Amino acid sequence: MKFFIEDLPILFPYPRIYPEQYAYMCDLKRTLDAGGHCVLEMPSGTGKTVSLLSLIVAYQQHYPEHRKLIYCSRTMSEIEKALAELKALMKYRADQLGEVEEFRGLGLTSRKNLCLHPSVKREKSGSVVDSRCRSLTAGFVKEKKERGEDVDLCIYHDNLDLLEPHNLIPAGVWTLDGMLRYGEEQKQCPYFTARRMMPFCNVIIYSYHYLLDPKIAERVSRELSKDCIVVFDEAHNIDNVCIESLSIDLTEDSLRKAARGAANLEREITQLKETDADKLQNEYAKLVEGLREADEARDEGAFMSNPALPDDLLKEAVPGNIRRAEHFTAFLKRFIEYLKTRMKVLHVISETPPSFLQHLKELTFIERKPLRFCAERLTSLVRTLELTNIEDYQPLQEVATFATLAATYDTGFLLILEPFESETATVPNPVLHFTCLDAAIAIKPVFDRFSSVIITSGTISPLEMYPKMLGFTTVVQESYSMTLARRSFLPMIVTRGSDQGTISSGFQTRNDPSNVRNYGALLVEFSKLTPDGIVVFFPSYLYMESIISMWQGMGILDQVWKSKLILVETPDSQETSLALETYRTACSNGRGAILLCVARGKVSEGIDFDHHYGRTVLCIGVPFQYTESRILKARLEFLRETYRIRENDFLSFDAMRHCAQCLGRVLRGKDDYGIMVMADRRFAKKKTQLPKWISSALMEADANMSVDQAVATAKRFLKTMSKPFPIRMQEGISTWSYGDLMQHQEKLGAERDREMRMAGAYEEGYEGVHGDQVMQEAQHAEDMIDDDMDDAMLGMDV
Amino acid sequence: MSRLAQSAFVPAVRREARPAGSDSPDEICPVCKSSRYLNPNLRFLVNPECYHKMCASCVDRIFSHGPAQCPIAGCTRTLRKPRFREQTFEDLKVEREVDIRRKVAAVFNRREDEFEDTRAYNDYLNDVEDITFNLINGIDLEDTERKFADYERAHADEIKENAELESQEQSSYRVLQKKEREQIRLRREAARREEEEDKRLVEENRREQLRRLAAGQDASVVEKDGQQVQLKRRMDRRAAEERQRQLHARDAPPTPVTNGATPFIKGLKQRKGKEAEPPVDAFDGIRYKHQYYSLQDDYTYSFLDNAKKDARILAGGYNVHEYNERALADAFAGLGVFIADEVTERAKLSHDIEVPTEMAATEAQDVKMEDPV
Repeated sequence: MKFFIEDLPILFPYPRIYPEQYAYMCDLKRTLDAGGHCVLEMPSGTGKTVSLLSLIVAYQQHYPEHRKLIYCSRTMSEIEKALAELKALMKYRADQLGEVEEFRGLGLTSRKNLCLHPSVKREKSGSVVDSRCRSLTAGFVKEKKERGEDVDLCIYHDNLDLLEPHNLIPAGVWTLDGMLRYGEEQKQCPYFTARRMMPFCNVIIYSYHYLLDPKIAERVSRELSKDCIVVFDEAHNIDNVCIESLSIDLTEDSLRKAARGAANLEREITQLKETDADKLQNEYAKLVEGLREADEARDEGAFMSNPALPDDLLKEAVPGNIRRAEHFTAFLKRFIEYLKTRMKVLHVISETPPSFLQHLKELTFIERKPLRFCAERLTSLVRTLELTNIEDYQPLQEVATFATLAATYDTGFLLILEPFESETATVPNPVLHFTCLDAAIAIKPVFDRFSSVIITSGTISPLEMYPKMLGFTTVVQESYSMTLARRSFLPMIVTRGSDQGTISSGFQTRNDPSNVRNYGALLVEFSKLTPDGIVVFFPSYLYMESIISMWQGMGILDQVWKSKLILVETPDSQETSLALETYRTACSNGRGAILLCVARGKVSEGIDFDHHYGRTVLCIGVPFQYTESRILKARLEFLRETYRIRENDFLSFDAMRHCAQCLGRVLRGKDDYGIMVMADRRFAKKKTQLPKWISSALMEADANMSVDQAVATAKRFLKTMSKPFPIRMQEGISTWSYGDLMQHQEKLGAERDREMRMAGAYEEGYEGVHGDQVMQEAQHAEDMIDDDMDDAMLGMDV
Repeated sequence: MSRLAQSAFVPAVRREARPAGSDSPDEICPVCKSSRYLNPNLRFLVNPECYHKMCASCVDRIFSHGPAQCPIAGCTRTLRKPRFREQTFEDLKVEREVDIRRKVAAVFNRREDEFEDTRAYNDYLNDVEDITFNLINGIDLEDTERKFADYERAHADEIKENAELESQEQSSYRVLQKKEREQIRLRREAARREEEEDKRLVEENRREQLRRLAAGQDASVVEKDGQQVQLKRRMDRRAAEERQRQLHARDAPPTPVTNGATPFIKGLKQRKGKEAEPPVDAFDGIRYKHQYYSLQDDYTYSFLDNAKKDARILAGGYNVHEYNERALADAFAGLGVFIADEVTERAKLSHDIEVPTEMAATEAQDVKMEDPV
């Protein structure tokens, strides 16, 4: 289907379009025109990715700037899905336009997924693959080879150097599989192909971390220009990703390893001094000059890079007291010893970086400044020493990163030392958490650098929370509801059992037998009436275990067993995937199954229960975070002091976004149907925090039900769902053909004209809400209704 | 929540800590061979003379009667009991290194703003590190120590001054930190109070509604009223929040401490004390200026020639210049004074003054009369 949004021609690869897709595209275009950031919420399963891609690709191809698209997603499977969508879209475009556009779309993922080297690719752990790859591809290895030394090189990587650097792979869209296949054919490394081709791509699809984690972003995403369009899909958890990317946990073990790493470094230095003292001298001279090699950052094989250093600092020279290699290792050793000493304390400590630095200085005479250069100095040293077994230095790198971060940021971070694993433990197992409290720190460079950042997800309510937490302003902030020809999903809030006792997973009542029995009754009833699959979400593993064992004692599981198979998610991912597989088989062959899982577990994010895989989702209890965690407490405090977000508001927001995520699992499209049950007294007050598309479908009457009422309503709902519903009934309402779309546009146009005319009569300088875009439209409209306007103006003047 | 105090780690808290180097349970004192397995309270001490570790009871036993030789075989140092202490770091080498660094840092305490540019400062840091490194690893020990001592002697004043600055900075930082902690505590308390207040209000509102319903009022009206009350309260709260925010913004320092900026507020009077004080002016700004003559540096008097040179006279502080000045002042004194004018002036002045004093006197009397007490 081809249509226009204003002057922009859009090729949409399907014959029909959903109304919300159209609205989504219009808002996207508005954002891109205005050149700002936006937050958009669109229900899951309504084709978010394809509308996003088709609009942006159309935008790229139509306007002369050819703004690059950086599409970030969370998981591998989502990246692959997006690549496949893009490929289909480009094929459609080629068919429609009659020519293949000069277009490149690439996906990037870790070395582990893209390696072709026969022995390296067999490694299991990602970090081992990384370091082995580096040892085969680093620049100095090649130099050694040229000097005639006997070293191994990766043939796949070497072959890249024979090609033209801007044309490593033919134009087109390459899925990860496609890249691997092409790489195998041409004997070239897919990972480095993707990395090196990034500046020449129209669309790049990769994981959040390549943009958010400052340690990686600096290397990978450095050369992307300012006018790139950045999209974060499935971004409801983006604040946590930001925080995790800057948080570091140190244990005694990792410190010991780091100390060993420092000792190794020292040995390497003495060795190098004996064999090739010039190299160290060269490095020293460079550091004295305060010069950084221009190509350093581009060095793909670099060991690590700076975690979020301000630019002015990067230009500064390394402080004199860590300039010499041996001074630096002594410095590291001292710092590690200090940390070890701190770990010996037997009570919980939480302190701010400045107070940590103060104490550090008192005890070890380490100043703030050299500490800040720690990470950079280590990188430089590792490069000079030409180390290949880099994974041994990982703990040391962590310590260095920690040092740099602690010395750079005064606020937004907190050091928490927990000497015991749990309250009751007697054997100390200290962990030093260096936690980032401010999600805005990691994402700030992204907002600063790129003019358009689009944050989108199926469940990102309340929208205003994200700009607040991440510290940015939006041009457009919109939540779309789902247009449905019939009511195809039924959200309900169950607050009481059949005995009218309230049900809740609150701490006081969560293990009351009556409460548990009511939950059990709910499960039994729904297992009887739901066809095929049911997914049940609990707030935590702990609660799930206790409630299941109580159900076993009450004989509830036996009743459930009669109608459904019961499967349980565990923290172990292999067990879980086995359970999932069995669940799918049971659903497909008609036995039906129940999957018991956890709201913050693996199942709740990223696994779809479309169609018969999930007809009912039960959310047992509000999935609050574990509030006794010190890290969470510190973050709550920070949020209150800095962003004026109250503790309860944040906790409730966080619980509801996870809940919405769970509920959204069951509905993955317009032809799908399902029941969503939220079973907790406390949901009744929180229904406003649900995404718009769920809350608008939640009737007032369904918001405070008992178990038997819910069962009756669900039965009625399933009966209507079982009636045949031919696809043409949806047309014009929840799916638009080209004609419908034209009609809609005409209607909108007419409305706008009317508005224009009215506004024109009031005053000449019509100022709309949407700024630029409306002005532009006004201009456009003015040409058409020039005469009317003149008349009106004349009338006014007289 | 308030348990999560931002308690700074104070070294004195070390008592709660596991002693450094106590990882292995079967650690043995090298002197008396008693092990931690048999005596869980075993404490190890080191002396910064030689950094040999021994248990506390051995220290008591050997050094109670005054200085003695280190009992470790091959060590000839004489140790004294008061200098024994518990080790801070697990690694004794680092322990020693830190001790040396303490010594060096006390002497080489130049500050970055003393240097012309960063490069010079970095070079200085590098040199200091070289010296420290040599001291620690015993490279060119004599030479380095001599350099060290030379520097200390040559720059004694500056060292003292910088040390003072340093301690000033530290104390001001501590004060700042204390203030910050106090502020955080206050804010936390305020938030808690606010929350409690909220809860109380909601509860009150609910009770009020129930009471009115019980009194038989129309349900819809009651509900509407209740909602309005709540809405109003919410608006009030928002306004209060806004006020608080403004207050907070005002409280905040004009230059917010951001990334990378120096967090230490330098004592403001740091450099001021160094300026030379202005000379004492006894006459409060009135200067005697001679307008009728100009004073030469030298006058030729035959009878004064002797006084200019004679040590006996000069030793007493006699200054010929002074004599000249005085002689000239005497000679010209009174030249600008006209007595006739002054007399008339004085007469006029005294008349003027008398009148107001009379008036003031009457006024004072009036006040007195009106005074009821």
